[in-house]
Amino acid sequence: MPTITFSLKDLQHLVGRNLSSEEVSELTHYGKGDLESYDQETDEMKVEFQDTNLPYLWSVEGFARLIKGILEIQKGIPKIKVSKGSYEVIVDRSVHHIRPYISCFAAKGKKIDDYILKQVIQLQEKFCESYGRRRQKVSIGLYSYKRIAFPVHYKAVEPASVEFTPLEFKASMSLKEILAEHPKGKEYAWILEGFEKYPVLIDEKNEVLSFVPIINSNFTGRLEIGDENIFFEATGTDEEAVNLAASIFAYALSDRGFDIYSVEIKGQERKISPSLVPEAVHVKSGQINRLFGVDIKENEIKQLLEKMQYNFKDSKIEVPPYRKDILHPCDIIEDIGIAYGYENIKENQLATYTVGAALKLNEFIDKIREIIVGIGYQEIMSPVLTSKESLYGKMNIEDAGTIEIDDYMSETYSAVRSWITPNLMEVFSKNKHVEFPQKIFEEGIASTRKGEQINEFNRIAIASSHEGANYTEVRQAMDYMMKCLGLHCDYEEAEHGSFIAGRCARAIAKGKKVAYLGDISPEVLARWNLEMPVAAFELNLTELFEMIEKK
Amino acid sequence: MDIKKLSESLNQNEKKVLKVMDNFTSSTEIIKVTGLKDVEAVRALQWLQNKGIVKIKEAQKEMVYLDENGRKYSKYGLPERILLESIGEPAKMQDIIGRAGLDGEEAAVSLGILKSKSAIEISKGKDIILYVTEHGKRLLKKGFAEEQFLNENFPKEASSLGEMEMSMLESLRKRKKILKVEVKKDLRAELTETGKKLLKENIDEALLEKITPAMIKAASWKGRKFRRFDVRINVPSIFAGRKQHYRRFLDEVRQKFVALGFTEMNGPMVETDFWNMDALFMPQFHSARDIHQGYYVKEPKYFKSLPEEIVKNVKAAHENGFGTDSKGWRYDFDAKRTRRNILRTHDTSISARTLASKELKIPGKYFQIARCFRYDVIDATHLPDFNQVGGFVIEEGINFGHLKSLLRLFAKEFTGSDEIRIKPSYFPFTEPSAELQVKHPELGWIELAGSGIFRPELVKPLVGKEVPVIAWGVGLDRLAMFKLGIKDIRHLFSHDLEVLRNAKVI
Repeated sequence: MPTITFSLKDLQHLVGRNLSSEEVSELTHYGKGDLESYDQETDEMKVEFQDTNLPYLWSVEGFARLIKGILEIQKGIPKIKVSKGSYEVIVDRSVHHIRPYISCFAAKGKKIDDYILKQVIQLQEKFCESYGRRRQKVSIGLYSYKRIAFPVHYKAVEPASVEFTPLEFKASMSLKEILAEHPKGKEYAWILEGFEKYPVLIDEKNEVLSFVPIINSNFTGRLEIGDENIFFEATGTDEEAVNLAASIFAYALSDRGFDIYSVEIKGQERKISPSLVPEAVHVKSGQINRLFGVDIKENEIKQLLEKMQYNFKDSKIEVPPYRKDILHPCDIIEDIGIAYGYENIKENQLATYTVGAALKLNEFIDKIREIIVGIGYQEIMSPVLTSKESLYGKMNIEDAGTIEIDDYMSETYSAVRSWITPNLMEVFSKNKHVEFPQKIFEEGIASTRKGEQINEFNRIAIASSHEGANYTEVRQAMDYMMKCLGLHCDYEEAEHGSFIAGRCARAIAKGKKVAYLGDISPEVLARWNLEMPVAAFELNLTELFEMIEKK
Repeated sequence: MDIKKLSESLNQNEKKVLKVMDNFTSSTEIIKVTGLKDVEAVRALQWLQNKGIVKIKEAQKEMVYLDENGRKYSKYGLPERILLESIGEPAKMQDIIGRAGLDGEEAAVSLGILKSKSAIEISKGKDIILYVTEHGKRLLKKGFAEEQFLNENFPKEASSLGEMEMSMLESLRKRKKILKVEVKKDLRAELTETGKKLLKENIDEALLEKITPAMIKAASWKGRKFRRFDVRINVPSIFAGRKQHYRRFLDEVRQKFVALGFTEMNGPMVETDFWNMDALFMPQFHSARDIHQGYYVKEPKYFKSLPEEIVKNVKAAHENGFGTDSKGWRYDFDAKRTRRNILRTHDTSISARTLASKELKIPGKYFQIARCFRYDVIDATHLPDFNQVGGFVIEEGINFGHLKSLLRLFAKEFTGSDEIRIKPSYFPFTEPSAELQVKHPELGWIELAGSGIFRPELVKPLVGKEVPVIAWGVGLDRLAMFKLGIKDIRHLFSHDLEVLRNAKVI
């Protein structure tokens, strides 16, 4: 979730009111945000916004606009003046299947200083990384248009055919070289994977502005302190998102005091950018009442909507052009509710009587846990993620099918456990200095796979470690547990790599093999670096539960 | 305690020790005269001290022990005596040593000693001949003082030795492995005033120790007294079986929700993108859905069969709103990607399954406690595993006002606090969304729950119609840590047996 940094004085200036940091903190809630910090010495304020679909708030200008609405300094959609510009961008067919959409505008009439530059770059980065899906959906470029010879051409070219000097570099490089060598090229090369041609913005004098969405040119492709003339472009794969970028920036720069000029985009069709026509949505007043349980009159609805920068006329709601998060009337109704104040909404008791119930399986598991605690075992709770080395290597058995993580971060947590006993062995290995006997158990989910089939079971394992730990001890525990459940177990000799040959059994209840039990082999103990004998059993509780339920 | 009760509290060992304390104060002596084992005597002294009968001071003392050869000589005699006895008539040295059965070293030492005691003479000719002197004969008759010394009881306290014994100790210590001297801690016990009074009492009254079945059966205890126990003293600690502290906390959470009329729901841990996100109306292109945001499963990559009808509905919701008033996300829904297997990232996947289930009851209240996984840096404060508690209430006609009262109920139930703030928030699957903050009596304002009303684009494809659904998730880990007195979140899954054995039961 994006966090923006700005100066409180600047916010006050943009709003036109003196606001304390406490007041700002309260106002952030209207934008689903939180004040993270305010440093009185540097005047630096940090605000985090939750809504990932509301990028206009990721700039201090957008936040100030929200506040002006709430404080009713500005009602409804703020007016913005866009003058007709004489700039042209020509879109070539070659970009259609790669990155078809572009939006542009020009802004002038104000000098860029260090602070404004930082704000512009902050918004650009947050927008492209998050909303723009790491530049794939939308990327944004800002230039000083004085160095550009219009019209600008947007087209796709052969990777080796075009060369220019990218930002922060001295030498001219081909597009191909940039993807291979430039740090930004390497970072964003994935976006152009599989395309034979790459998109560029190139001016009338054949000077490259940008290799989109990778890197701008070192000559034209940057804004500098003191610049007064800005050329903005956004390209991408989603038309609405590309247009939204232009709207948000045009409003932000207009709020800053820049004059905005349109750009004519000539492609399959001609259009004027930025497109700032508000979208109209119809909301039935009954819907508001249904969602919030309050009866708000139409004139109050209008007032609330205007506070949240919507226009309301002829029972039609107009959405400001810097917002594209309205999918359903409920998105607007939420704003009405926020403006009304959640604290003002009356609480209603849930009146319907319902009978609660825990899962039957969980109730069964709780009984089993109670039995095992009763015979003196300490319960353990471990992470479900573990490693194949713990599950099989150290347990001296083969992997019979495991859920592994595709792109794991740490080997230690690279597989879902397929059984629980290894967790208990790990506990022993971490507690060699602790007083014996050590008797422990764990119940939890374990997963296995057979080809395409994923199986999840609740399993329980118990393990006892002390000088006299042996088969008899865990066998007694198993017998006792089964007796408590009204079941009888038969036992047959079994082979299992984790147990000593001849001291390992399978427990059979109602003709079904339900558990392994026995003495852990010294080979396994050595692999866990243990010096004390261990006896253990492990049982599939889901199967046992189903067996009992059937009778 | 009065003297009478005190005397009734003495056990046999205490009595034994007490009786000799008029004459002896050192634990070594006490051990010797009472015949008790070391630990028995020391423990008895400590008990007596606990009862205020004696006062113990620690002192150091030198103890003389028989060493390896010392023990041998004490049994079979000193080699010099054996050698002297073996001489008889003057004879060749080699023969005599052979007769005495001594090894070379012992023989050499013995010869030196006998010579220095003027017990023998040695003539050096072609053969070395040994003679017993008159003094030697007298010595044989009288016996060797050192030998008698070695026959006494060891260990001996060095300070208890006489002048003669001291000089014998000195000379024997110079020889190989006969005596050894070690510095030991010694306890000096003195009777207190109470102790002195107590000694004047009759402490020999026979008190009953163990209560036995035979005693009960024969009623032989009647008319007699049981020895009093000192009930104040510490006893050795025990540890027993018990539930894991965090799991126990979650057990109580479950009970609480059941008590509030909620039904528990279940769902798989290895989920599909479909139930984990798509069914919750989170668009497939959303940044929260990058490969690095979740634990995707290596094999099998795709789940075989999802419920066709529900997938069709969800696909339509994403693409065009599925007949709700929504535009939908307007993109081509990827029907393959939706089957991608992932470890569930949140418990809301279970809510989605429940809404789509034939078992769903309207009105209904549901909850789940689920192990979830977050792709996060694993360090001192993060584990990939965590538990989430969440659920929903479905009922015609419910609204945000009901959500508010439900949140107030949760605040009260889980923190005991009635002071709450409900502020706007954002979740991809609820609109409106709200966050519950509670003023915890000790922690101050904490975020307790996220909640909202499920979007119609989520509800209609799963339930088949638009019904208001209040959804909520409660963040209980912080409360659990507070209640359990845990500072480090990893201790919720602690593998430290001492931590587990000593954790508070709450």
